[in-house]
Amino acid sequence: MDSPSSALEQNIDLSKLSEKDKQELQQFIVNESQKARIQQSVHSLTDICWKKCVTGTIRGGKLDKNEETCAQNCVDRFLDANMTVIKHLDNMRNQS
Amino acid sequence: MDNISNGLGFGSSSSDPKAAVMNQVRQEAAMTNARQLIEKVNEHCFEKCVPKPGSSLSSGETTCFTQCMEKYMAAWNTVSRQYINRIQQEQGRSS
Repeated sequence: MDSPSSALEQNIDLSKLSEKDKQELQQFIVNESQKARIQQSVHSLTDICWKKCVTGTIRGGKLDKNEETCAQNCVDRFLDANMTVIKHLDNMRNQS
Repeated sequence: MDNISNGLGFGSSSSDPKAAVMNQVRQEAAMTNARQLIEKVNEHCFEKCVPKPGSSLSSGETTCFTQCMEKYMAAWNTVSRQYINRIQQEQGRSS
């Protein structure tokens, strides 16, 4: 069996694409990049918030009410903290 | 080799280069996402469910693992919803 990645390495001839096609492709790639960035952030945040919110033994396959609320708060607080860091960095830069 | 990509629902691509590129990008994104999820599930659930590795996985450990996996995915969905809501809020504020 070929390695799975060989399907991704086929040679695609882009030289005859119309202008419209090229623009569509460009927009598509911009959108997909943004989606990928968001997914990456969600992976990081889930990692962090799992550690903070799901302590103790696993009982059942769903989040209980406390864990659910904790996870939501965790996301919001992390983003607030991120904003705080950026603003303060700006202050520090302006003071020097 | 089209078998695997066809099995994933991505059609054959020889006649339409634009569609081929789009499929390739989607496929790669899906694989990256799956890979990251599996890596994180393994890490967290091994930590929680197999505190002292024995000579085999007990049935209790296996059950814990499957529950943990479902729980992690539920957490992922909750975080995703919250994050996307937040982004949309921030965008609404600045526009």
